[in-house]
Amino acid sequence: MISLENVSIGYSERPVIDNLTTEVPQGKVTTILGPNGCGKSTLLKALACLKVPTQGCIRLDGIDLSTLSSRDRARKIAILPQHPIAPDGVRVGDLVRRGRTPWRGALSPWRTEDQAACDEALVAVHLQHDQSRTLVELSGGQRQRAWLALVLAQQTPILLLDEPTTHLDLVYQIELLQLLRDRNRNSGLTVVSILHDLNLAARFSDHLILLGAGKLVDAGPPDTVLSADNIRAGFNLQALVTRDPITSAPMVVPH
Amino acid sequence: MIRWAILIAILVTSVCLALRYGQISVPLDVLWNGLGTNDGPGSLILGTIRGPRVAVAMGGGFVLGLSGALFQTLFRNPLASPDVLGFTSGAGLAVIFAVSFNLAIAPTIAAVAGGVFAALVVAAIAYQKGVETPAITLILVGLGIGFFATGLATFLMTVLPTSSALEAQRWLSGSLSGSTWGNAGLVCGLGSLLALFALAQSRALGVLELGNDMAKGLGLSTEASRWTISGTGVLLAAVGVSLTGPVPFVALIAGPLGAVLSGATTVAGRLLAGGMAGAIVLVLADLVARVAIPNTQLPAGVFTGLIGAPFLLWRLGVEMRKGRV
Amino acid sequence: MAALCLIALALISLFIGPRDIAFDSFAAALQAYDQYDAEHVTLMQIRLPRLWAALIAGGALGVAAMVMQVVTRNPFADPGVLGINAGAAFFLIVGTTLLGRADEAFVAVFAFPGAALMALIVFALGGGFLRDINPIRLVLAGVAVNALLASLLTALVLLRQDSLDVMRFWVAGSLSQATTRPLFEMSLIALAGASLAMALATRFEAFALGGDMSQGLGVRPGRVLAGALIVVTLCAGAAVSVAGPIAFLGLIVPPIVRVLSPGDLRLGLLMSAVIGALILLFADVLGRVILSPLEVRAGIMTALLGTPLFLWVARRMSPGQVS
Repeated sequence: MISLENVSIGYSERPVIDNLTTEVPQGKVTTILGPNGCGKSTLLKALACLKVPTQGCIRLDGIDLSTLSSRDRARKIAILPQHPIAPDGVRVGDLVRRGRTPWRGALSPWRTEDQAACDEALVAVHLQHDQSRTLVELSGGQRQRAWLALVLAQQTPILLLDEPTTHLDLVYQIELLQLLRDRNRNSGLTVVSILHDLNLAARFSDHLILLGAGKLVDAGPPDTVLSADNIRAGFNLQALVTRDPITSAPMVVPH
Repeated sequence: MIRWAILIAILVTSVCLALRYGQISVPLDVLWNGLGTNDGPGSLILGTIRGPRVAVAMGGGFVLGLSGALFQTLFRNPLASPDVLGFTSGAGLAVIFAVSFNLAIAPTIAAVAGGVFAALVVAAIAYQKGVETPAITLILVGLGIGFFATGLATFLMTVLPTSSALEAQRWLSGSLSGSTWGNAGLVCGLGSLLALFALAQSRALGVLELGNDMAKGLGLSTEASRWTISGTGVLLAAVGVSLTGPVPFVALIAGPLGAVLSGATTVAGRLLAGGMAGAIVLVLADLVARVAIPNTQLPAGVFTGLIGAPFLLWRLGVEMRKGRV
Repeated sequence: MAALCLIALALISLFIGPRDIAFDSFAAALQAYDQYDAEHVTLMQIRLPRLWAALIAGGALGVAAMVMQVVTRNPFADPGVLGINAGAAFFLIVGTTLLGRADEAFVAVFAFPGAALMALIVFALGGGFLRDINPIRLVLAGVAVNALLASLLTALVLLRQDSLDVMRFWVAGSLSQATTRPLFEMSLIALAGASLAMALATRFEAFALGGDMSQGLGVRPGRVLAGALIVVTLCAGAAVSVAGPIAFLGLIVPPIVRVLSPGDLRLGLLMSAVIGALILLFADVLGRVILSPLEVRAGIMTALLGTPLFLWVARRMSPGQVS
């Protein structure tokens, strides 16, 4: 479980995240929601220790994250940034291998467990037959799954994703979110992602963190967080909240 | 208008300074007296020692600066100048080539041939059918050709005997020593002809600046204009290089410097200002090269290199922030 | 395969030159070295050091270029293009001019601060310490640094005429003076650089995925960049003090390696050492025979071989890839 206590991030006079206290439950699928520029990405980066809070403390199972060495942290928390850079002409298999970086010492050879982790990650994203293809040959959805395989090969109990569904067709969005939830259900992976689509978030998440302008609006299960009042507070948007006819998850229909 | 006056004043001051100072400094009134007569120190300095040298620096700087401004406007990229595009290296290589094989060719002709040849090679490699060549591709290809020419010139240097190698090294780094009135006449004559031709192209250039499609829509035959303008620019650069050697970065600095100093908004104004800025830079660089170390004359290119390299880096920073490179 | 080619070429390089040597005398020289036999002396005192120098310089430059290209994600990253070789050579020339050529081994030390300084400047100017490194900016920074050094060098040569010969010898890479170079010391330094590269290989690969991703993988970008600079300094410095600034070798090696072994960078680094040594040796042998008896320096041969590749990459690069 990751807990945040009075966390502020950003510049001292104008913090992006201001005095935030909340929790990310273990073994659940959590989604961070909020309007553009409310500090979602900043919060996610802080969870992965890419940004250091100016105030407050982020704890992982009671241990202050900032006391961990970067390698130890990378063995516990993986992050897929919004725009990772694909080296020119890299092949899927070689890309995924780089996810093993925190497990490999300066002199350690490529071990069978490294290979096993990569194979397993590739199977999980259904790319086991595309290892020798280059990243540019893949479709957008496949490419995003290849990046996902990289962070899965990192074999961390916690996975953070910054807008993993951006630029994907609806079909691929659902495929990716389904894949993440399967992973969560099957191996207990804690998933934290940022999404823009409230309805998809409601459908695929166990826990929501709704931010509005650097402050927490509400956190909890989709049923309680996605209320008309919260939507108005977070997004400044009048909306009707009804039930999705298929899954009966909350569905937000703007006025 | 005031800014143009300032630009002209800077040029005149630089020329006066360049005539006044050197291994020995000559007061301006002595120079003034030497203007009318045929003897005395003033006349000697003006007529034989510094006069032709400063004239060549002015003319050479002008054509190089004009050529730079021309290419920078044509390709809408401040980095696209004949030295970055490899034309000056090509011209330099041709002259070294002529020297090392004892070919009986005037350096001017060799430089022009080399510059045009390098330009054709760059164009042929960068050209892709049906696509407007991006300035970046052109710059990279030009850099490659420049590297190649420099490599070959270095090779020729290693096989030359020491005395000619020293001369070649001096020439390759851009030196104005040994300039004569004949050189000055050549650069001014050819230079002004080409400059007039370039200025006549300024309207077409102004339309081309708006992009190929827009220019076509306005009824310009874009391909022909591009070739004409590029040809003029290459010839200008080659004439400059043949007399001054491949002085680094004068053409690169001149365009932006002239635009800032003159505040010119029209294409013709920018071209003219670029030429004048080039003249100022080269005259001053040559002056510094003469007086920096007593009893030693360095090539002017050493100083344009020392100014130009940081300028290129600064320019890069600016372009990066604008997101154009 | 590449290793076999290397061995074959190495043998050829021993026997070809102004004096062609029969294979028998090689065997004889190994078994019973006769210091009055001209062939034996040529073989052991000239050809063998020269071969050794080509292997070290080529291998070291191959490793340096591979590391630079991976870290900067830039197909133009080459110690020559970026002015690192020129920096090392400049310091060497200044050192030799000031101290005289009495002590070659001591003077060779100057190559390292030169290489380190230029590497630092070029990376800093290329935006390496701020954000992600920009390919075009890096190349242009290299061009500017090269031009700056060339200007300084000209000034030096014209001020101290005695340095012209030193410069002419150093300014283009050549293996002809290998006998007088501190080969053994430089081999050790190049080996140290290559070992560091091997140890950091996985980190370099992670670094190439961009700032956030590499941090997410537990890599500290600052440290990795510092490691890369040390590798480049050691390898390029060693190569330059053995063979002078060899141009464009670093452009040729990584693309070939990427085709031959696209996977693990450690294997890639081994390959680039082998391929780099192979190409430099090839350039040297070719330079010895192509205009015989005139010798074309290896550095010029690699420049001539590398230019078409540079142009090809430049042409292939679409504007979108550049920014």
